[in-house]
Amino acid sequence: MTNRINPLLIVMTILVYIFLLGPLIIIFGASVSDTTFLAFPPQGLTLHWFENIWEISAFRRTIVTSLQVALLGTGIALLIGIPAAYALNRHRIHLPGWLSTLFILPILVPEIVIGFSLLRSVNVDLGVPVFYTLLVGHTLLVLPYVVRVISASLASFDFSIEEAAISLGSRPVKTFFTIVLPNVRSGVIAAFILAFITSINDVSVSLFLTGPGISTLPIQILAHVEQFFDPTVASVSVLLMMLTILVMIIVERTLGLTIVAK
Amino acid sequence: MFNWASGHLGDIMKKIGILGAATVSVAALLAAAPAMAQSRTFTVSWWGFNGDQLQEIIINPFQEMCGCEVVFETGNNADRLSRLQLRNGEGVDVIYLTDRFSQLGIELGMFQPIDRAQVPNIDQIYDLAQSPQGEYGPAYTIGRVGIVYNADEVAEPITSWSDLWREDLASSISLPGITTTAGPMVVLRAASLAGVDAYADEEAAFARVAELVPNVVTNYNTGSEMINLFSTGEITVSMAQDFTLGSIREAVPSVVWAELEEGSIATLNTINIPVGAAEPELAHQFLNFVLSAEIQQQLAERGVDAPVNTGVQLTEEQAAIWTYGDEMIAGLQRVDYAPMNAALDGWINRWNEIFGM
Amino acid sequence: MKRLAGWILSSPATLAITLFLIIPVAATISVTFTAPGGITAPYAEFFASGFQRSVLWRTFEVAAITTVISLIFGLLTAYVVSRCPPWMKSLLIVLAVFPLLTGVVVRSFAWLIILGRNGILNSFLEWAGVIERPLGLLYSQGAVIVALVYIFVPLMVLVLVGVLENIPDDLIQASSSLGATPTATFLQVVLPLATPGLIVGAVLVFTASFTSYATPHLLGGNRQMMMGTFLHQRAMVSFDWVSASTVAAIMVVVIVTTVLVMTRLARRLNPMAT
Repeated sequence: MTNRINPLLIVMTILVYIFLLGPLIIIFGASVSDTTFLAFPPQGLTLHWFENIWEISAFRRTIVTSLQVALLGTGIALLIGIPAAYALNRHRIHLPGWLSTLFILPILVPEIVIGFSLLRSVNVDLGVPVFYTLLVGHTLLVLPYVVRVISASLASFDFSIEEAAISLGSRPVKTFFTIVLPNVRSGVIAAFILAFITSINDVSVSLFLTGPGISTLPIQILAHVEQFFDPTVASVSVLLMMLTILVMIIVERTLGLTIVAK
Repeated sequence: MFNWASGHLGDIMKKIGILGAATVSVAALLAAAPAMAQSRTFTVSWWGFNGDQLQEIIINPFQEMCGCEVVFETGNNADRLSRLQLRNGEGVDVIYLTDRFSQLGIELGMFQPIDRAQVPNIDQIYDLAQSPQGEYGPAYTIGRVGIVYNADEVAEPITSWSDLWREDLASSISLPGITTTAGPMVVLRAASLAGVDAYADEEAAFARVAELVPNVVTNYNTGSEMINLFSTGEITVSMAQDFTLGSIREAVPSVVWAELEEGSIATLNTINIPVGAAEPELAHQFLNFVLSAEIQQQLAERGVDAPVNTGVQLTEEQAAIWTYGDEMIAGLQRVDYAPMNAALDGWINRWNEIFGM
Repeated sequence: MKRLAGWILSSPATLAITLFLIIPVAATISVTFTAPGGITAPYAEFFASGFQRSVLWRTFEVAAITTVISLIFGLLTAYVVSRCPPWMKSLLIVLAVFPLLTGVVVRSFAWLIILGRNGILNSFLEWAGVIERPLGLLYSQGAVIVALVYIFVPLMVLVLVGVLENIPDDLIQASSSLGATPTATFLQVVLPLATPGLIVGAVLVFTASFTSYATPHLLGGNRQMMMGTFLHQRAMVSFDWVSASTVAAIMVVVIVTTVLVMTRLARRLNPMAT
């Protein structure tokens, strides 16, 4: 504002944004094109490819599986991640420093290695059914986001308020639900959304964890692209993008988007 | 304090609700999952190729017949056989494979012998299809591996395997990957072109394969992938199995099957019942159903699979794309898979060195 | 009691990570040490093969080039974004977050439409008379890099906007009021302060590119194999689990080493910390 920006830089920035958004617009164009070929600009408009999604049973099934796994995985990650994040903040002095590192391990280890290792150990060696192995994989995948985001919002919480409530006779568990949790509400919502989006888009963890009748939407998209180069995949992509826009509007309305940028 | 807390009970519930937003749906979903599994399911493992037509011709009527729900595992031969082996032969009731991979599956002990009394239609099929690999699964179709090309784009017709090496085909060919059924046949052709035995002199055979590199755009792993490459214009020539021809021509009508002077190579596609099949009885019924003259007739007419049932009657035009009739079948080259499967590890490495670097 | 409470509350998550991450990954890695032929046999075999070395090298190369290009694009964009008026800044951040929240498969797929032989780029070039026959752009290293840059620039922008915003405006004003040109201010004030953030962004992009699967699978094909696609081929197509585990172990080692070395470097270079 006070110091001017080099016009060349502004031009470059505009080009970068065209680079970032252009391909998404192209997908949108392809999804309503009435040629089997992905032509752009579209010759004529049709919603046929959106109908086609529901006609292909593999898409119907994998959409359901993906939603199941994303909701269940995120739910479990919240159930085990919130207490962990609370412990990391509230009882920091009693816990070793490596514990917080432990919770980000699923980000550190390559996702595809996690998927492969779960296939070997949990699915094959322990005989856990594919669906539950997939669920375990997704829970692990999103756990770091849950712990990090909720820890961040607990960090600004003044625990002396909780102390006060307890010293006045409120039971610790009740205090947690009445005092602590409401104060980190936005953190929980942000964690839920981040985790959900991460899970629903995941390829690398799910890659090895599919079986008869069980596959996720992104894996099905990959298979479909290989088999039929028709715009159905573009319309599925548009649906996924719309879901993302919806989620972003909700986030914007409730919390402001800066929370995702963190 | 107590009053303060209880006064906010509704509020607390709401806050817990946030946490539970996921868990509520969790409960609903968990309840839904077993409900789906309750009806009797029958699992078919196949390529996912021609899925819509197979659904209509085979799966829909079969579901009505058995009162079961059919679910699928799709993927290429190697991928599905690997997964079956991982599950110790469990998880699917019937598995479609090309003969090279069903041979591998048999060697791994993955399949159960077929009770031929439960599959009376076997008697109606060609002799060579009835038990191509001993007591295991029959072949449901017979095919050829050869060359297909886009006649509009390729100036001079392709008439020999050696044409793959032609200079005018630079950056226009797709070859099957070495881990697919037809991949190793590239090596066999290269060897015979070099005048050597592929197993005795790998070096010379692969030297010839390496000369193909400038012509090859990419290797494909599934038939559908290859058709895709044709329809997107990435390739104009491919080595392919003939069951893909119908679909290629739907996408690109100018693609033709090359009449090769050395002859094409025969492949048989089989259906086997894995040792751990949950519904062996249904699996035998399925086999019998798929081999029936009625289904085979429909599959052949609709350009899905060549028939093996001798009761199938095709017009000349319908038969044109298929391996059909005694004369044509007699003229095909056969491949012995036992030495090929044994040599394959070394071949995969050499192939990767050529095409992957 | 208090001492135990922390452990009890964190135990479900700790247990989950130990049981389902540490033990399985350790099992995968230990497979490579118990293979017949001695502890180092699978690794000797990996590095003896020219093809496998080339996969590892290609993966390094692709990840490094992607990181450098993303750094340049990200830094320039983030610098402009962080100097924008607030309303515009939030709009630009939203526009960068959006692609980030769209899946990797969808974003790789977009480039399949663009770079294909019948794709938009080729039809545009033909229309413009630049080329006569469509070019084969897919299934090349360039295609993979373009798509990976596309995927990771938004991440870089977000990380760097955060970093650049933390640089006090006073410093920049002081620099220019003392007569420094904008370029000199950028190079001598902004860049050194942003270095730790640049390193964090670079590590994120490098590790994610190094381990990517969907993008090299869709845009590179069989002939541009990278470690992720190679791991999948070894495990599911060749069914060679020892070799697949070796690839997995090498990936873990590369990633962990990169992260440890770079975060240490970032800490040392942080001028605010000292």
